[in-house]
Amino acid sequence: MYKFKLGNTFKLAFRGLSRNRRRSMVTLLTIALGFSAIALFAGYTHNIYSGMSRGAIHGEMLGHLTLSKPGMRKEGRLYPERYLLNAGEVNKISELLRNEAHVKLIAPRLAFSGLLSNGRASTIFLAEGIEPSALQKLQEGIFSEREIRRGTFSNMLKKLDPLHTEVVELSGGLVELLHIEKQGLAAMLVNTMSGQANALDVTLGGTFDTGNAGTNDKFALVSLALAQNLYDAAGHADRLTVLLDDVAQTEPMRKQIQARLHEAGFDLEIKSWNELSSFYNQVHGMFDMIFGFIFLIVLTVVVMSVANSMGMTVIERTREIGTLRAIGLRRAGVVRIFTTESFLLTLLGCGAGLLITILVRYGINVADISYVPPNSVSPTPLLVDLDVRRIVFTFVLMGIVATLAAYLPARRAANKLIIDALGHI
Amino acid sequence: MTTSNSIQPLLRIKDIRRRFMLGETAIDALHGVSLDIHASEFLAVWGPSGSGKSTLMNIIGLIDTPTAGEVWFDGQDTHTLKDDAVTDFRGRKIGFVFQSFNLVPVLSALENVMLPLQIQGVAEVSARERAAQALLDVGLERFKSQRPDRLSGGQRQRVAIARALVVSPRLIIADEPTANLDSENSKMIIDLMRQMNRSKGVTFVFTTHDPRLLEHVDRKVLLRDGLIVQDEVTNV
Repeated sequence: MYKFKLGNTFKLAFRGLSRNRRRSMVTLLTIALGFSAIALFAGYTHNIYSGMSRGAIHGEMLGHLTLSKPGMRKEGRLYPERYLLNAGEVNKISELLRNEAHVKLIAPRLAFSGLLSNGRASTIFLAEGIEPSALQKLQEGIFSEREIRRGTFSNMLKKLDPLHTEVVELSGGLVELLHIEKQGLAAMLVNTMSGQANALDVTLGGTFDTGNAGTNDKFALVSLALAQNLYDAAGHADRLTVLLDDVAQTEPMRKQIQARLHEAGFDLEIKSWNELSSFYNQVHGMFDMIFGFIFLIVLTVVVMSVANSMGMTVIERTREIGTLRAIGLRRAGVVRIFTTESFLLTLLGCGAGLLITILVRYGINVADISYVPPNSVSPTPLLVDLDVRRIVFTFVLMGIVATLAAYLPARRAANKLIIDALGHI
Repeated sequence: MTTSNSIQPLLRIKDIRRRFMLGETAIDALHGVSLDIHASEFLAVWGPSGSGKSTLMNIIGLIDTPTAGEVWFDGQDTHTLKDDAVTDFRGRKIGFVFQSFNLVPVLSALENVMLPLQIQGVAEVSARERAAQALLDVGLERFKSQRPDRLSGGQRQRVAIARALVVSPRLIIADEPTANLDSENSKMIIDLMRQMNRSKGVTFVFTTHDPRLLEHVDRKVLLRDGLIVQDEVTNV
């Protein structure tokens, strides 16, 4: 049975770190800087993901789940009568889901497109019909506390008048194109569900930014009643948006709602917000790839540094290894001392790295730095979160890999003949 | 005078041969050495450089294995033991004193002496008490908190002797323990070993090339070209 206690192994390993202080410090700094580089980038991407998920759920108004007839997204525009949910279906489904746990809102939606005219010129628009109260509820939680405090992105908020269904909100770019004044009149020309042309006068209630340069000159927001009127589809909706009280409940609730609808005889397709937000998925995928790339590079540098440092340490202490073996330490004990030393070095390095991360993060977050991301219309603040999950993952992986990096030279030294080790100069 | 003793020896080596390979060349360091060492003996192995003294000490100390021959220690054929068992056996029964002291530089004198006990799993309090007593025995109780780099050569070797003694071994192997010391310290170390041999009954086997130190031993084994050429009891 191995008898050299873990506490003694740690003591010997810890003291071992103080032998060549300069080398230990350089290795420790390499680990610390590598760790903080990973943790800061992870925190930056975490902030982006979190902002983008809020943007998709509340800003793009995707909610957490979207219910529609299968095929609606592909062929709904061609055959709306086949794919729209009628008033009876909308009411039944809403009734069915209203009392489900975690469900905060069920909002019927109707999207359409057409031409918007100021009387002299026309341009295309993409419109979304939604009940004003649902719009307000859907946008709750769009901003972080910091954004609310600083008023960042407040131009992205949308509002519809529940008493005047003809009042619409237009995106800033669209208003600029047609030079429409607030409270000014415009005409919306669309095709109805049956393919007839239909036009209605609308009043500009306000403007908003979509946050996306590609849609900021096309988007319009109208009340559901106006949309149904224009589309000649009273009570109809092309989809139902479900807002939950917790984003973590998205997948469990999808399964639960699917089961409830199936029991009630409805065959509906349910998509989650991250399936529908292609922009979120693309950005997430891109940053995940960059993170993986940076992580691999940093991990390689750290492991090489630890392996080099421990390799030199083991060589320098070969005679001591011979002495310890001679006075009764088993081969496994030698390996354990050096792997523990490497683990301690990594632990201290990661601890220092965490401290650097917290300080740099604080500095960045109070520095009020902002930038305009690609395809965006407004500046975004540069903020860094603490991504605990990836910090723990980095620490565990670095600990394992750095310990393994010490294992090989330590095993080689432990397997040396004692007389050779003692004779080592 | 050649020794002969009818009682069971502490250590018996029979027809030991040791061959080293230096590249393609085979070098025979020991050519068939047989030796019995009894408990409480104070024995010096001496001879010119390259005579095989250190090789013999390594084999006696179970830190090297012979190419041929048998090593019996305390009635145990050590050839039958696996590596971990030999290591534990060595840790319990044999202490080492090295020419270059071989103390762990980041541990204090007391911690260095505690180390063999900790390796054996002795509890911290007991290990500390026994190590303090061992340092007291070698006259270094005042230096127990000092690290080796703060001690003189003679003091370091006394710490090494305390480290070897602390596990109450049957045998202490000392390979050229005075080679790095001046004559005064050399005599002091030999006197200390002799004193421990007499007071604690521990068997000491050491090598030396200093003929003055041979005056203090009660048995001298002369090795030349890998063979014992003289085994003399002097009964000091």
